[in-house]
Amino acid sequence: MMGDQILEGTGKDSAKRVISVRDLYKIYRIGENKVYALNGVSFDIRRGEFVAIVGTSGSGKSTLLNMLAGLEPPTKGSIEIAGKRIDKMNERQLVAFRRNNIGFIFQSYNLLNTMNGLENVAMPLMFRGVPKAKREKIAEKYMKLMSVLDQAKHMPNQMSGGQQQRIGIARAMVVDPKIIFADEPTGNLDSHTSMDVLELMQKLVHEQQKTLVMVTHDDHLASFADRQIRIVDGKIVSIESRKDYGAESSEGEGNDKQQ
Amino acid sequence: MKFGDLLNLAVSNLKRRKLRTFLTVLGVIIGTASIIVMVSLGIGQSELQMELISSSTSLTTISVYGGSSGYMYSMGGGSSASSGDEPLYITDETIEQFKNLPYATGASPILNYYVIAKQGVYESSFNLAGVSHDYLEQIPLSEGKVPEKGSSQLSLIYGNMIRRDFTNSKTNEGYWDTGEEPDVDLINKPMFIIFDRDKYYQSQSNNQDSGSGDDGAQPVTPPKKYIVPTAGIVKGGPMDWNQYSYNVYCDVDALKTQLKTIFRKNPIPGQPTNKKGKPYNYFIYDEAEVYADDMEHVMEIQNRITEMGFQANSNVEWVQSSQKQMQAQQAVLGGIGAVSLLVAAIGIANTMMMSIYERTKEIGVMKVLGCDMNNIRDMFLLESGFIGLMGGIAGIAVSYAISKIINVLYLKQQMEQAAMGGYDMSATGDISRIPPWLILLALIFAILIGMLAGFFPAKRAMKLSALSAIRNE
Repeated sequence: MMGDQILEGTGKDSAKRVISVRDLYKIYRIGENKVYALNGVSFDIRRGEFVAIVGTSGSGKSTLLNMLAGLEPPTKGSIEIAGKRIDKMNERQLVAFRRNNIGFIFQSYNLLNTMNGLENVAMPLMFRGVPKAKREKIAEKYMKLMSVLDQAKHMPNQMSGGQQQRIGIARAMVVDPKIIFADEPTGNLDSHTSMDVLELMQKLVHEQQKTLVMVTHDDHLASFADRQIRIVDGKIVSIESRKDYGAESSEGEGNDKQQ
Repeated sequence: MKFGDLLNLAVSNLKRRKLRTFLTVLGVIIGTASIIVMVSLGIGQSELQMELISSSTSLTTISVYGGSSGYMYSMGGGSSASSGDEPLYITDETIEQFKNLPYATGASPILNYYVIAKQGVYESSFNLAGVSHDYLEQIPLSEGKVPEKGSSQLSLIYGNMIRRDFTNSKTNEGYWDTGEEPDVDLINKPMFIIFDRDKYYQSQSNNQDSGSGDDGAQPVTPPKKYIVPTAGIVKGGPMDWNQYSYNVYCDVDALKTQLKTIFRKNPIPGQPTNKKGKPYNYFIYDEAEVYADDMEHVMEIQNRITEMGFQANSNVEWVQSSQKQMQAQQAVLGGIGAVSLLVAAIGIANTMMMSIYERTKEIGVMKVLGCDMNNIRDMFLLESGFIGLMGGIAGIAVSYAISKIINVLYLKQQMEQAAMGGYDMSATGDISRIPPWLILLALIFAILIGMLAGFFPAKRAMKLSALSAIRNE
């Protein structure tokens, strides 16, 4: 497979590898027909990278993200995240794994309407059993970072979409995760706010050295990422780096030729 | 996740849908209250009955009958003093044996002796029960006091309703004919007692047969009349019946002494004779009473006495059978109450299912963000348990109120009945009684029902797919 040849050679770099996907298949059966949502996908993502998975709707990009986050089991293939084979885990283990390693940003924010901004941000820490005073202090720190501290006491329905998504990002950050997954994070925002949010995310990744995997259908938004993995019909058609990115990482992956 | 946080989540979820929570809780309130009230009625009824029984009779007393009453004969082995085919009699010796039985606190013989009493024109024939001093001490008295122990002077304790048994010898009418209390003064006027009834009746009929003529063939001289002092009168007005009301009691030793002095060598009426037709040289009692230290031990003592070959019975037997009946009744009442709690449980399950459908996305988000599956289940269990708790507490309050109302109404009805029927209501009380254990049990039951009803919805919530959080509607 094309992906294998490209990535196998980066042995010395394996310590920096945080996500490693090999020969990933997802096959849905619809009646008698088999639908290949993912058809043999392999790639690596390094620590501190901002990767965009780009594709049209139905391309399998969301399926890929769901499997990376352990929300859906793959039909075949392996997914290794932070050295753990998550395709081998059961549901309970996956929940625990997400709790300890992963932050998630949703398209429709998915804030809990019964909680105010601060409580929403602090929620993942609550799942970890962090005492209230401590977790709210941490939450405030990240809200300040997202410049939505003024929304701490507001309920989600009192906030604008942009504010809600900033809260959502703060919520993803609050557990200090190794990886953050974002599913069309700006899908419900206007273009101006989208740019704001995206720039914020970009800044965040670089300042906090987080790994961010974002799914989007928008090429322009994808251009904010360090690398773009383009998916068509369940296969990777190209992996391209931002022009100034390859230089600083010195690992160009040699993908340019595939463009 | 901390328990406090879980609780907070559960409560805030319940607060979110106030009306629906209220309606579900209302179901539990009705269910809990109906169980408590129903059971409290059962308890009240059976306790009331017990109070009634224990106020009029003793529950720790065992009545023993021997051979002299006619239907009890030796059952084989010579376990008592009598031997061969001799009937098994209750004698002083057997009384001593009864006293020494385990758990027995005492025993009293009962020597029944029929006498005729006269005061003025009034006359009565009643049974004089010779009993031990201990027995006499147990009789509640309104006037006078129990004769001194060991006193050989015969003195009588009259039942509070005994006056009704006197008839006017001139008109031949008594209380039961006229409805008036006979004018008999038990305290201040002397009472004449005739012990030899046979002789008395003979002399009576003799006098009537021969008319006014005194020179008939050998008239029977009327037996001697004895003035016997009154020692006391059983407590209670002329209306209040109790087990002592229609009897006359005296000390058994005094009675024995009295009978011996009257009859000397002659056989004492009512005493059995041996095969040769001779009287025994000791007294034989028709009955005896044995006292147990506790109601629990009555049956054990009773069985022992039966083994000795005597006929024994006590109130405990029928009290137990009526208690059993009451328990069955209580179970039925409780069952009726439980049905409404069951309906409430279905209500809880329904509410929880609805809640889960509404919150599918929210649960998905929580799972994506790493909320442990057990925490999700516990959260829903807490919610349903909380509904049970709230309903339980409110239900207890409601049942107290209902119980109060029932008791007030019951008391009113009893008063009316008493006013109409003219009887005393010494043994009335609350018909609905809520003991603390019932409260505790009902509360635990309500919470348990709530959690049970929430269990399957909670399990379902736990298994909801995290993917639902991602889907955009």
